[in-house]
Amino acid sequence: MSPEMDTIVNAFLGSAALTSLLIILALLGTLNPYHRPAIPLTVVTMVIVISTYLASISWGGDMGTLAIRSNLVNGALSILDLLYLAFSVLTALILRASLRSRPDDPLIALSEAESDSE
Amino acid sequence: MVVSLAAAQVWAGFCLFGIGFAMHRTGPAFKRHPAGAPVVLLGLAIMLLHSEPPSPESLLVQAATDAVPWIVSAAIGISLVLSGAPIYSNRKPLILLVGWAFILAAWYFMLGILPDLTLTEILSWLGSILGAALAIAVFAQSVRYTESKTPTEPESTPLSEKERKYVQSVLKRHLEASDEP
Repeated sequence: MSPEMDTIVNAFLGSAALTSLLIILALLGTLNPYHRPAIPLTVVTMVIVISTYLASISWGGDMGTLAIRSNLVNGALSILDLLYLAFSVLTALILRASLRSRPDDPLIALSEAESDSE
Repeated sequence: MVVSLAAAQVWAGFCLFGIGFAMHRTGPAFKRHPAGAPVVLLGLAIMLLHSEPPSPESLLVQAATDAVPWIVSAAIGISLVLSGAPIYSNRKPLILLVGWAFILAAWYFMLGILPDLTLTEILSWLGSILGAALAIAVFAQSVRYTESKTPTEPESTPLSEKERKYVQSVLKRHLEASDEP
């Protein structure tokens, strides 16, 4: 595989693994008695294992903790790169929010009219 | 198979950061989980305050440290602009101006570390988006499957006369409270 293709495949496999890890952490952080997390946790853990296995095949290395760590680091780096894109979109959105005029709210107008009449 | 203490420290910090962020998102917007923000800060401190992170975590720590100035400026700027923009209240020009100054500073810091835009870089962004989308789709399907296998609760029995009177009195108390002198 060419180095360019390697970079793209590693970004794909790494971000799948990292997103799965973030889902696991989100499930843990929001655990409540109504959750039934067993199947989702098993499935996202499988995504981490399978993507790491495929990544280790592409590196030609062993499937171990180093492969999992490397795959997760690759995912974190590629998702950090996406923040540039996200910030560009966000800048455009908040520019629009800054320039627009406040929409008329009939409920606020009603409460203001009521407070004036009192 | 042994993970060094330094690597474990980076991942423990990362996990605390993720769990704290998820905790912070629970609850209504005006009353977030009180432990969320402290857990996020603790996680960041454990992950980034590192004398010598091992490889490959050193790459992550370095990238996160490089990104701190622009991400912090962007977060401050965006929150200021959102509170100064005419979304929920009238426009506050001074807050808007300060917010945009932070956003411009964030752009300045970000452009300093932005990698060269090559076709490989753009395709790698696309790969990341597809990878994240795949993980979310698999998770959503597993949640859908779990929900379909969850036995439905039997229909609840109607309220007894005593319960009906109690609910009626609660509703009456709350609905008529504003009319009372």
